Amino acid sequence: MTSLSQTIQDVFNEPGCGKNQAKSEKERKKGCTKQLQPGGAAGGCAFDGAKIALQPITDVAHLVHGPIACEGNSWDNRGAKSSGSSLYRTGFTTDMTENDIVFGGEKHLFKAIREIVEKYAPPAVFVYQTCVPAMIGDDIDAVCKAAAAKFGTPCIPIQSPGFVGPKNLGNKLAGEAMLKHVIGTEEPEYTTPYDINIIGEYNLAGELWQVKPLLDELGIRILSCISGDAKYKEVAWSHRARAAMMVCSKAMINVARKMEERYEIPFFEGSFYGIEDMSDSLREIARLLIERGADPELMDRTEAVIAREEAKAWAAIAPYQERLSGKKVLLVTGGVKSWSVVAALQEAGMEIVGTSIKKSTKEDKDKIKKLMGDDAHMFDDLTPREMYRKLKTAEADIMLSGGRSQFVALKASMPWMDINQERHVAFAGYHGMVEMVKEIDRTLSNPVWQEVRRPAPWERAGAASWQDRAMSEDGSSPEAGVDGTPPSATGPAITGQEAA
Amino acid sequence: MPQDANQVKDHFELFRGEEYTDMLAKKKAEFENPHPAEEVARVREWAKTEEYKDLNFSREALTINPAKACQPLGAVFAAVGFESTLPFVHGSQGCVAYYRSHFSRHFKEPTSCVSSSMTEDAAVFGGLNNMVDGLANAYNMYKPKMIAVSTTCMAEVIGDDLNAYIKTAKEKESLPQEFDVPFAHTPAFVGSHITGYDNAMKGILEHFWDGKANTVDKMVREPNGKINFLNGFDGYAVGNLREVKRIFDMMKIEYTILGDQSDVWDTPTDGEFRMYDGGTTLEDAANALHAKATVSMQQYCTEKTLPFIANHGQETAAFNHPIGVEATDSFVMEVARLAGVEIPDELAKERGRLVDAIADSNAHIHGKKFAIYGDPDLAYGLAKFVMELGGEPVVVLSTNGGKAWAAKMQDLFDSSPFGANCKAYPGKDLWHMRSLLFTEKPDFLIGNTYGKYLERDTGVPLIRIGFPIFDRHHKHRYPVWGYQGGLNVLVTILDRIFEHMDATTNIPSKTDYSYDIIR
Repeated sequence: MTSLSQTIQDVFNEPGCGKNQAKSEKERKKGCTKQLQPGGAAGGCAFDGAKIALQPITDVAHLVHGPIACEGNSWDNRGAKSSGSSLYRTGFTTDMTENDIVFGGEKHLFKAIREIVEKYAPPAVFVYQTCVPAMIGDDIDAVCKAAAAKFGTPCIPIQSPGFVGPKNLGNKLAGEAMLKHVIGTEEPEYTTPYDINIIGEYNLAGELWQVKPLLDELGIRILSCISGDAKYKEVAWSHRARAAMMVCSKAMINVARKMEERYEIPFFEGSFYGIEDMSDSLREIARLLIERGADPELMDRTEAVIAREEAKAWAAIAPYQERLSGKKVLLVTGGVKSWSVVAALQEAGMEIVGTSIKKSTKEDKDKIKKLMGDDAHMFDDLTPREMYRKLKTAEADIMLSGGRSQFVALKASMPWMDINQERHVAFAGYHGMVEMVKEIDRTLSNPVWQEVRRPAPWERAGAASWQDRAMSEDGSSPEAGVDGTPPSATGPAITGQEAA
Repeated sequence: MPQDANQVKDHFELFRGEEYTDMLAKKKAEFENPHPAEEVARVREWAKTEEYKDLNFSREALTINPAKACQPLGAVFAAVGFESTLPFVHGSQGCVAYYRSHFSRHFKEPTSCVSSSMTEDAAVFGGLNNMVDGLANAYNMYKPKMIAVSTTCMAEVIGDDLNAYIKTAKEKESLPQEFDVPFAHTPAFVGSHITGYDNAMKGILEHFWDGKANTVDKMVREPNGKINFLNGFDGYAVGNLREVKRIFDMMKIEYTILGDQSDVWDTPTDGEFRMYDGGTTLEDAANALHAKATVSMQQYCTEKTLPFIANHGQETAAFNHPIGVEATDSFVMEVARLAGVEIPDELAKERGRLVDAIADSNAHIHGKKFAIYGDPDLAYGLAKFVMELGGEPVVVLSTNGGKAWAAKMQDLFDSSPFGANCKAYPGKDLWHMRSLLFTEKPDFLIGNTYGKYLERDTGVPLIRIGFPIFDRHHKHRYPVWGYQGGLNVLVTILDRIFEHMDATTNIPSKTDYSYDIIR
C-alpha cells in the first residue's frame, strides 16, 4: 500500500468524526463520501480541496505540479484576506506538457522550486500533487526532500491528486500534510497561557478579523490560525498552543484531533456564526485555557464581554424587526450554519421555512429541532430541479445559500443572498450577525426583485409562463437544462462538497 | 537640457522634468506672489461647505460650466439625418466650426455643415447677399439633395427673414425653384440644442407637408399603418437608431425614422469619402404625413414637432429617453399598440436577459447614491433606470431642463422610496453640481465628458453617459435603448463601480487584502 492510500485510509478512519464512527468497517473502507455518480455534475476534487484549505497561508508559494488545468482555472479564486504577504495570490504551476509526461516531470518540478526560491525567497514552498504526475509516478515527496536540502527552504509535498476523491477529502489531505511536514517544526519566540489555535477558519471576507478584537480584548492570543491569514511559521509552531478551536469540523477535524493526540492540545468544535454560537465559542476557549493553566478570572472577563456584546448585537438587530417581521427565509447551506444563524433570523422576526441538512450532523439536526420545533422543514440532498420547485412553491421571501445555488434562486425569481464562502461581506462574530440581518434587509428591499418577478407586461393574464411550463414538465429532461445551472466544473448547485 | 532633440518628450513627460519643476517652483516663489498655501487650502475646504453652496446657488448672472449647447447645434443634428442633406447655418461661420468639431469629436466622423459666413457688413446691412451667394455655392460645390437652413444669433439679432431670403435666392437662381430648402429660426439665446432640434425637425416636416413655403399645394393625408419615429437629440444616435430599427423589424412594424443619423456618423473606411450617407429619404419624409402615429423618444426634444404632427391628424406618443426594463416595456408596448402588432418571442427573450443580468448584479448598485446630469429626457431616463436597479439618485440636474421637467422628475422621485432623497435642479450648471457633489455626497456621478473635472475636484467617480463624450471612444456605437441598450447602460455603470472598487483596494500591503479577482 502506498503512503497516499494509507493516508487516505487513515483519514477515513478519523475517530474524531462521529459520522465515521457509526459506520461499519466495510463502509469506512469505502470512505467518507458518497461515490460520485458518473454522468452527474460533480463538485470539486481532492486537489481543489487541498488547495483551498491551505491557500490562505499567505507567505507561502503554492506550487501546483500538473498540467495547466489545475492551477490555470483556479488561482486566486477565494476571498481569503491577508494582513501581510500577498504571495499566496500568485499562481505557481509547472504547467506540465507532453514531454514531461513522457519523460517524467520531477526535474521540471525541481527547477520550478529553484526558480521560486531564487525569485521570491518564500519561507516555504507547498507542492501540490495532481492527477497527471501522480499517474505517471512523479515522486513529489522525493523532489521536495531533495529541493529542501539543496535550497534550504522547506518544501512541503501535498499529496492531493484529484482522482482520490472529492473536495472534502482534499481538505483533510491538506491537513495531513501540515501534520506530517509543518506543525512542530518551528518554535515561537515566546508562549503565554492564553495561546490558542483556530483550525478550519479561512478569514474569508476578513471574518477572522471580526472576531480577533474580542480575543485581543480578553488577552487571548491566536498563536496560529489554520489557515486564515496565517504565515508559514505560525502554522509550524502551532503545536505550542494551549487550546484549539475547531471551526469547520468536516474540513480539518483530523488536524485538531491529531494535535490533541500528539501535543495534548485540547480542542472543541465551535462556530463564529450566530450570536449564541459566538458566545459559546468564547466560553469554550476560556474554559479550555483555564483548564490548561490560565487564570480563572479569564472566565469572568469573558462573561462580561459576552454580556456586553450580546446586548449590543440584539439591540442592533431589534430595529430590523419592523421591516423583517414575517419574512420567510429558506436556508440552503449546511453544517452548523443550518441552525447557527437561525436564532438571529428569528430575533429579527423572520420565519425559517426550511433548512438544508446536507452536511449537518445529528447534533446539528437536534439543534434545528430545538430552535424551530419538530415541524422544522429539513431538506436533505436537493437536486437543482427539486430546489427550483421548492423555491417556486415554498413561498419564501429570500433564500440564503452558497454561490452555487445562486442561479437556481435567481431563475426562480427568488431574492438570494450569499452566506457561504464566496461572499464579500463578513458575517462572523456578533457584528457579523448584525451585518447579515442588515444585508438581508437590503436584499429584500432591492427593487430588482419586483422587476424579476413581474412578467412582461404584454403577457396575457393567466397565460403559462416559461417557468410554469418548466415546472409542469415531468422531469425527464436533464436537470441542468431547466434551471439554467450549467453543469460546470465547479459542480452542481447543491450536491458538491464545500470546504468552508 | 530641458528638451533633447534625440529624445523629444511630449506634454505628458516634459514638464515633469527637474528643469521645469524647479523653474516653476522658482517662478511661484519669486514672482507669483500667491496666497499662502494655508489660505488656498482654507478656501478649497470652504468651497465644500453648505455655506458656499448657498452662495453658489444665489448666483444670478453668471453661468459656470454649462451643460447645454445652442439651438443651431440641434438643428444641424436633425438635418444630417436626412438623405444627402447639407445643413446650412445662416450667420457667422465661427459658430458652425464649433458644431462640426463638436460632433466630430463625439462621433469620430466628419460632419458636413456650411455657413453663410456673415461678416460685419452683413450685420449692418442684413445677410441677404450671404444667403444668396451661400446657397448658390453650397448647391454647386457639395451637390446636396436638400439644404436645411438654420440660424445663428447674429442673423436672429438683426432679424433676417429666412423665408423671404430663400425665396429671393431662388429668384436670383442660386438654386432651382423646386429644390428643397426647409428652414428654421434657431436663435441660441432661446432654449438649447434640444430646442434647435425641435425647430429644425418641425421646419423640415412643415416644408414637405405644408406646401413648401407656399410654392406647391399642401399635402393631403391619406392614413396608412406606418409608424414615424423621432429620436430627438441623442449622442447615441448611431447605436440607438440601429437598435430601434432592429426591434421594429423584429416586430414587423412598417416605420419611418425621421432623421436617421446612424449612417452619416458611422461611414465605413473603404477608400470612399461619403459626405452624405444613409438618412431618411426626402420622399419618406414627405410621406411620413400619412403615418398612423409618431413616436418621440424624447418629449423635451419634440415639444413643438409632436403637436405639429398631432395637428395633422396622427396619434402621438412621447417618452423620456427610455432606459431599462420598465421604460422599454412602455415603449415597445405603446409601439405595438399603435402598430397593432404582437410582441415577438425574441424580444421577450431579450427582456428576460436584461432582467437576468440585473438580478445577477443587483447587489452592487442597490443602495448606491447617484448624481446625474444631462439633457432633460436623458436625465429622466437614467434616473428612472438607476431607481429600477435600487440605486438612489440624490441629485438630478439639467441645465436645459425647465420647471415642467423638474415637476415631472419630482413625480418620478415620489413614485419610489429610492427617489425619496432626491431633488431635481432645472437650469443649473456644473458649478452648482460641484457644490452638490460636496454637500450631497453621492457615490457616483453620471454625466458627459465634462464631468471629469467634477470627478477630479470632488473625487466622485464619473460614469460617462451623455453627450458629448470626447475622451472615450465609440460609446455612440452602442445603444442605450431597447433591452440590449439597457444591458449596455447596466454594464457601463457596473464597470465603473468595479473599477472604483479595484482602484481603492490596490495599494500593496495596505488595501490590497480586498483586491479580489472575483467581484
